[in-house]
Amino acid sequence: MRSLPLAVALIGLWAWGALAATPPAPLPAEHLTVEKLAAPSPHWIYVFDAAFDNEIDQRVRLYDGDTHRRLGQIDAGFTPGFNLSPDGAKSVVATTYYSRGSRGTRTDVVEFTDNATLSPAGEIVLPNKRAMTAPNPFSVAYSEDGHFVYAAYITPAASFGVLDPVHLKVLSEIDTAGCVLVIPGGANRVSSLCESGRLLTVSLDAEGHDSGRSMSEPFFNPDNDPVFVQGIRNSRGYTFLSFLGEVHEVDFSGTQPSFAPVWSLVSAAEKGHWRPGAEQVGALHRKLGRLYVPMHEGGEGTHKDGGTEVWVFDVASHKRVARWPVQGAGLKNALALQVSQDDAPLLFVATANSDVAIFDALTGHLKYVEKHLGQTPWMLLNP
Amino acid sequence: MRPLDRLVEDSARALARRSSRRSVLAVLGRALTGAALLPLLPIDRASRAHAAESKPKAAGPDSCDYWKYCAIDGFLCACCGGTSTSCPPGAAPSPITWIGTCHNPADGRDYIVSYNDCCGKTSCGDCECNRNEREKPPYRPSRNNDLNWCMANADSNYHCSVSVILGVAEK
Repeated sequence: MRSLPLAVALIGLWAWGALAATPPAPLPAEHLTVEKLAAPSPHWIYVFDAAFDNEIDQRVRLYDGDTHRRLGQIDAGFTPGFNLSPDGAKSVVATTYYSRGSRGTRTDVVEFTDNATLSPAGEIVLPNKRAMTAPNPFSVAYSEDGHFVYAAYITPAASFGVLDPVHLKVLSEIDTAGCVLVIPGGANRVSSLCESGRLLTVSLDAEGHDSGRSMSEPFFNPDNDPVFVQGIRNSRGYTFLSFLGEVHEVDFSGTQPSFAPVWSLVSAAEKGHWRPGAEQVGALHRKLGRLYVPMHEGGEGTHKDGGTEVWVFDVASHKRVARWPVQGAGLKNALALQVSQDDAPLLFVATANSDVAIFDALTGHLKYVEKHLGQTPWMLLNP
Repeated sequence: MRPLDRLVEDSARALARRSSRRSVLAVLGRALTGAALLPLLPIDRASRAHAAESKPKAAGPDSCDYWKYCAIDGFLCACCGGTSTSCPPGAAPSPITWIGTCHNPADGRDYIVSYNDCCGKTSCGDCECNRNEREKPPYRPSRNNDLNWCMANADSNYHCSVSVILGVAEK
C-alpha cells in the first residue's frame, strides 16, 4: 500500500510530460471591429466627467448599471455644457476649443452625438460667448419638442442663443438682462434665473426670435437662502433646492412659470444643521414621486461638500421616507446622483473619490460600486 | 465700445443694481478692474506681517486652509509657480473676477478679496482648493466661483487662482 502514492506521482509526471510535448492549438486570428451599442436600457447612465485636473479634455461616459460595463465615451472639450434630447436619441455638448490645444483661435461650438453609435452627428459654431461654468442641466438644453436647442451665454453679460438642431444653424441671440442659463419650458419658452430671485421667461416665435417676455415674482431669497442652479426635472418642469433645504417646485408647462407651495427637506430642529450639498443636488423618480437628496451636517459655505447620507422624500406628502448612509456604507461623500425612471429603479451616486455606487432605489440596498468612473464625475443624466 | 470697456461697464451696472452702499461699490469696482489699484487701498500690511511672525504654524499661501482662500475654487497659484497674489510665469491674470470677504484670524479683521483667475494655460492640477464661504450661485456672478473667470481673456483656458486683498471690509 505504501507504493500507491509513488505510483500516482509517477503517472502524474508522465501525464504532465505528455501535455508539455503536445502544445495546445493556437488561438485563431482576430479581427478588429467597432463595438455596436445594444438597444438603450433604462439602467444606462451618462456620467459627465468635468476632468478638473485637465479641463480641456472633459468627457461623458456611457455606463450600464446592470452589466457594470463602460459602454463608450463622448468627448466634451473645455468647461462644456451637456444635455440629452427629449427622446434620448441625441446628446448635445456646448464647448470651446482652441486651434492649438490650449492656445490659438477660439471656437465655441455645439456638437451633437448620435447616441445609438456615439458618433458625431453635426455641429453649430457659436459666437464666442458660451457660458463656462460648473456642470448643470441649463448651460445647453433642448426645447420640450426637440425643435430648438438653447445655449447659455455669459461674457459676463448674459444672453442665450437659439439654435436649429435640424438645419444646424444659429437662429438668434436673446439678451436676458442679467438673468442666466436656459431652462426650457414647452416648445418655445426659455426661462433664466435672475439675481433678484425671479425668473425671466422669453417666448419665441417660429423663427426662434423673441416674441414676448415676462418676469415672475421672486420665488426664493437669493441673499438669505439661494437656490442651487442644478434643477431637478419633475413631471411639469423643474424642482430647485435651496441651500437650507427648501423645495421650490416650478411648473414650466404653462405660458408663465407657476410655483407650488414651498416645503422643506429639514425639520425646524434640523434647519441650518443638516443641509443639501453637492455638485448635483438631487434626483427625482417622476412616476414614484421619490426625491433623492445628498445631505450632510454643516454650516454656511458647505453647500458643495457632498452628502454623507442620501435622504429620500415622498414629494406628494412632503415626508422623508428614508435616510440611506453614504459614508456609513464605506463611500466618500455623494457629489452627484441620478435615478433611473423604470419600475425597478437604480440610484446612481457619484462620490468625492470618483466612484459611482449603485443602489436599489426602492430599498437603498447597495448593489455595486464602480471604482474610479472618470476623474471628477459631477453630473449624471439619463433620458 | 471696446469689448473690455463694455464688459467692465456691464459688470459695474450689475453691481450697482445690488449694492446700496457707495463705499462697497467703490471697492468692488476696483476689484473688477483688476489689482492695479491695490497700492492705494488701506491695507494694514504691517500688522499682517507681525501676526504671521507670531503664529508661524498658521496655514500659508500654498495651503487650502490659508485664511484668504475662504471662497476659492480651483488650483492655488502658489503651488503652480505663482503666489497668492501673482500668476505663474507666462499666465495672464483675468481682468474680471469674483469677490469674497475673508476673516483673518491673525488680526481679527475681515478683508475684501478678489479671486482672480490666471489664464492662458491648461489646468495646473496642483493644490486643488474648494471653499465656499458666502459663495452664491451664478445668478450672482460677482459672488460665484463656478464661473470660469478667464472667460473674457483672449485665451480663456483656466490655469489657477489667486486671492488678492482689496481692503478692509467695513462693518
